[in-house]
Amino acid sequence: MNDLLDLIGWPWPDWDLPSLPLPDLPDIPLPDLPVTAAQVMILLTATAGILGLAVGRRSSRPAAWVAVLSSGLVLLAAVWQLYAVYELGGQQVSGTVGPLALGELEAPLELSATRLSALVAAVVSLVALVVQVFARWYLWFDPRYRQFSATVSLFTAAMLLVVLSGDVLLTLIGWEVMGWCSFLLIGHLSVKDSANRAAVKALLVTRLADVGFVIGLIWLAAGAGSTSVEAIIEHWTGDSYAALGVAMCLVVVGVAGKSAQLPFQDWLPDAMEGPTPASALIHAATMVAAGTVVLAQLFPLLQAAGPARLLLAVLVSVTVVLAALLAFAQPDLKRLLAWSTVSQVGLMLAALTVVPGGTGPDVAIMHLLSHAWFKALLFLTVGWMGVLTGGTVVRYVASATKRYRSLRRPMGLGLLALAGVPPMVGFVSKELVLAQAEHGVQDGVGPAGTIVLAAVGASVPLTAAYCMRAWLILDRGPIQRLQRTPRRAQEHQIIDDFFDEPEVLEEAIGIEEAESAISSSARTAVALLGFCSVVGGILVFTPQLDLHVSINLQLLVAALLLMALAALAVWVVSRGVGSRDAAARLPIRVSLAAERGLGFDALYRAVVARPVVALAHGVQWLDREVLDGYVRGAGHAARLLGGALEHTHPRRPAPGLVLVLAGVLVLAVIGVVLT
Amino acid sequence: MSVIDALALPVLVLTPLLVGVWLLVADRVGTPPRPGTSRSLAVAAAVLVAASAVVVVWRRPEIDLLWIESLGVRLDLGVDGLSAPFLLLTGLMAVVATLVPYHHPLSDARLGEPGRHEPTVALPVVGTDVPRPRALATYYACLLVVVAGSLLTFLTRDAVVFFVAFELVLIPMWVLVARHGDATSAADRDGAALRFLLFTATGSMLMLVGILALWGATGTTDLSRWAELAGSSLASGTQVVVAVILLIGLGIKVPVWPLHTWLPWVHATAPTAGSVLLAAVLLKMGAYGMIRLVAAPLPEGLATVAPVLAGLAVTGILWAGLACLVEQDLKRLIAWASIGHLGFVVLAIAAGSETGLQAAIYGNMAHGLISALLFVLVGNLKHQWGGADLGSPRAALREVSPRLGFVLVLGMAAAMGLPGLAGFWGEWGALYAAWEPGPGRTLWWFRGFAIAAALGAVLAAAYAVRVLREVWAGDRRSPAIRDTRGVELGLLSLLGVGILALGVYPGPLLDLTAPATEAIIATLGVGR
Repeated sequence: MNDLLDLIGWPWPDWDLPSLPLPDLPDIPLPDLPVTAAQVMILLTATAGILGLAVGRRSSRPAAWVAVLSSGLVLLAAVWQLYAVYELGGQQVSGTVGPLALGELEAPLELSATRLSALVAAVVSLVALVVQVFARWYLWFDPRYRQFSATVSLFTAAMLLVVLSGDVLLTLIGWEVMGWCSFLLIGHLSVKDSANRAAVKALLVTRLADVGFVIGLIWLAAGAGSTSVEAIIEHWTGDSYAALGVAMCLVVVGVAGKSAQLPFQDWLPDAMEGPTPASALIHAATMVAAGTVVLAQLFPLLQAAGPARLLLAVLVSVTVVLAALLAFAQPDLKRLLAWSTVSQVGLMLAALTVVPGGTGPDVAIMHLLSHAWFKALLFLTVGWMGVLTGGTVVRYVASATKRYRSLRRPMGLGLLALAGVPPMVGFVSKELVLAQAEHGVQDGVGPAGTIVLAAVGASVPLTAAYCMRAWLILDRGPIQRLQRTPRRAQEHQIIDDFFDEPEVLEEAIGIEEAESAISSSARTAVALLGFCSVVGGILVFTPQLDLHVSINLQLLVAALLLMALAALAVWVVSRGVGSRDAAARLPIRVSLAAERGLGFDALYRAVVARPVVALAHGVQWLDREVLDGYVRGAGHAARLLGGALEHTHPRRPAPGLVLVLAGVLVLAVIGVVLT
Repeated sequence: MSVIDALALPVLVLTPLLVGVWLLVADRVGTPPRPGTSRSLAVAAAVLVAASAVVVVWRRPEIDLLWIESLGVRLDLGVDGLSAPFLLLTGLMAVVATLVPYHHPLSDARLGEPGRHEPTVALPVVGTDVPRPRALATYYACLLVVVAGSLLTFLTRDAVVFFVAFELVLIPMWVLVARHGDATSAADRDGAALRFLLFTATGSMLMLVGILALWGATGTTDLSRWAELAGSSLASGTQVVVAVILLIGLGIKVPVWPLHTWLPWVHATAPTAGSVLLAAVLLKMGAYGMIRLVAAPLPEGLATVAPVLAGLAVTGILWAGLACLVEQDLKRLIAWASIGHLGFVVLAIAAGSETGLQAAIYGNMAHGLISALLFVLVGNLKHQWGGADLGSPRAALREVSPRLGFVLVLGMAAAMGLPGLAGFWGEWGALYAAWEPGPGRTLWWFRGFAIAAALGAVLAAAYAVRVLREVWAGDRRSPAIRDTRGVELGLLSLLGVGILALGVYPGPLLDLTAPATEAIIATLGVGR
């Protein structure tokens, strides 16, 4: 044994990330423009949102031009900003509509582009561009394409505002506008009641959590007397305050709501009612990831606030594992992706809680970027597939990549990246999170570290398991069921889940069908995301990310082994199931519970919705019968009194009144004459 | 001073008053003017008012005439940072209210049959009197007199004139509700008019008592002198009593919980223009009065009762938010929403900081625009639907009338305080001000209020999406209604652009009011 260990050189030393020098960038002189890239990006997307609504009522064409062109220009601006930040170093501050005269409170409302925020902004604009191009195809025949693309533009503007914000007030603005746009996007098909319900649920759940966010940010700003992030960090890190812990806990609650972490997670799977491009935007690069961005901006405060970090660690750790388990059992592929989003966003946030002193939030940001690429890729591919197969539940999508070979590559790349198979970008970012958690534990970040390490470790095989499950279903050979005869029926139960065996297609016909269904630009956009999902990992070697993480090779190998084992186990279980769906072996009660998200929806209704409505009825009754009762009583009394007095009084003016009036006139004349 | 400067102020006050009185007289002497004539006359007057309001705010002319010498009451008119936004809002609302289409009041007889045909012969049912043309001149006259009274309230720097102007608007408003309001049995027109009169008359009386008490203590009715003295001539006990009396009187107008019960009734009945003026101008007089008559002259009294006032305001926010979740009449629902928004305004005033006052004024302006937009919209819907009951099946607005649908989305987003629209700054500022209140306030009480108010904002989101889900979304396409167009579309666009502009670019309005609020807070120390 020892020989063997010696042979492989055990224990392996930790491996430091090499830093590749960037090739010398051409020294383009930065022109001294009156606007900065950040201003251009936000202004352009917001204007595109308004303009997109205003132009062309007859055709979707002008709206599409506005949306796609502006997204393209924004991407260019983002690249320009990356370059400018790289060349000039530090942060690029630029103003917006501030400063505001809000009395004692300073509100400079400045944008700030830093190394990380410029990077995130670039990826957000890339995904937004891809989504706009894809939506142009996907919603070609939708009579409300105009509204959709405008809302997507507005949504992007809000996200860019959050990313580039240097002021908590701006952060809050972007945050809330994103919530409202997500309401509109999820409820895009407003004739469907399920879509309306999902939209309302998404808005209200996140809005409720935002109470914490709003109060937390107000608390932070009130302490510093300013809403500028810089001033807030300076004020609160100067001393150790007990209030900081509470305030940051409140912020964390808001983040948990927007990022769909426990106990707010249930809005996200329902949000799949929205059109697929909206799902790709909301659940890949923008809304659910916004929490990570905000906490990265307030990172020094999160580091200083122990309780908030612990709260976040516990919430996300439970969510990561739970959501991965639920993802495995979903009968709908889109909902599987939704739950995997919940789990992956949990990983990003987890990476923020275990950062050893002296390092930044770069690992979390790296996972954000990686997730943005591969999840957008997966969502868009699933949208494409849904168009071909007529739905995304297992019985529609079985054998999909065999029938439509063009789907095979994007789907395979996306699932590999999600599972974290080397050398995909998902592998790189997930290993970094794992390494960071391990470092955190060694560095003594407290109990948060242990919890997070356990959860991240557990998520590795779980993610691999549900990705393998999805792949087995998708890549099932269409004739498999016919050739198998039940063997060893006692030990190995054969499940025939009676789905419509798809017609055996000629490969060429399938490819032709798949490719004629989609526009070439949308296909190119998907391919671009696939490319990013493969090579995106290179980013960690560039100076754009400042990583002080050394990789523990034992841990890495163990993680890969676990992954392989999980995939193998899923494959074994899936044998003998007609659709090759490993989850078909779960007891029916388990899969039903998983499909319903463990009954959290009923919990929300029982704990929040119903009591509030009951209270509202109580308020209405009190208002009508008690508060207004007094008023009605007074009114009746006055009427009665008036009526009674009326009887004692002649109803027509008495002739004597003329005399009185004449007297008044005389008096007036006398008065005028005498003065 | 150029001629325009010299003329602007008299034109501003006298135009609506004189045109209003002329219409009133013309309606009764000889042949009444045709509806078209009175409408164009009223619109012309309103446009003149709006234009001169802009000139007055820009050039800041002043008029100072002795009115009642023996009492020292002066007709002292002028503009400062506090009154300027209110003046502009009134000018805008004058145009909106006179331009908005007049709908004949709904009555049981008109809605009698399921087919909703107008009966050919007037049936002898209570409340069937369809106004004759002559009444329309009175209608426009009443609108103009309300505008004139409001302008005078915001312009005057004398407490007695303030009171007189405050009173001037009551009767015309009552006429609007009682004669031109919807007369269905559900709307309870008489009850609504009676509630309005009882409540506001009581409020005015209390306000008069408060003004007299202050007059007695300071020996002057000059509001700017009152603000300079900042309560130094009153014992703190007296300050509290006077502040309470004034706050009750003004609180009825705002309205503050639990003095709000008249508002949903009046709004449910009032004609569209009446609702617009009531929500966008009359309620503002209450909030303006709170700053002018209480916050500035009685800082200590306000500080003492501030926790109670803020508590009532927050109760109102939550109460109104809850009521909106189950209210079945869309117009009443908008009225309830108004109560919630003004709760934020009162909370900000009670917080007693400069941020709070800024937020309060901003919230007032935002609420003026938002409620005007919503009332114009709902007025149209109510007229076409033949009632504003949410329970009846209606066509989804998004399907049959996309423009109305868009305006509803915008209005509801603004009502829930969405950033980027006008409502946000006032509400966020109120929350901030409550979290960090001015001197003399109990910190943790106010922080509790801030949390409760933030929960109230969630209720606002809940009723906003409730309305959208019931009215805007869905697949019903019948009974079809006509989309908005013409003048009404213009008004809705104007208000919508205003809401967006205030939401995106708050700087100018905040800068306009900053000097005045700074001055009010700066005098706080003088009284001690």
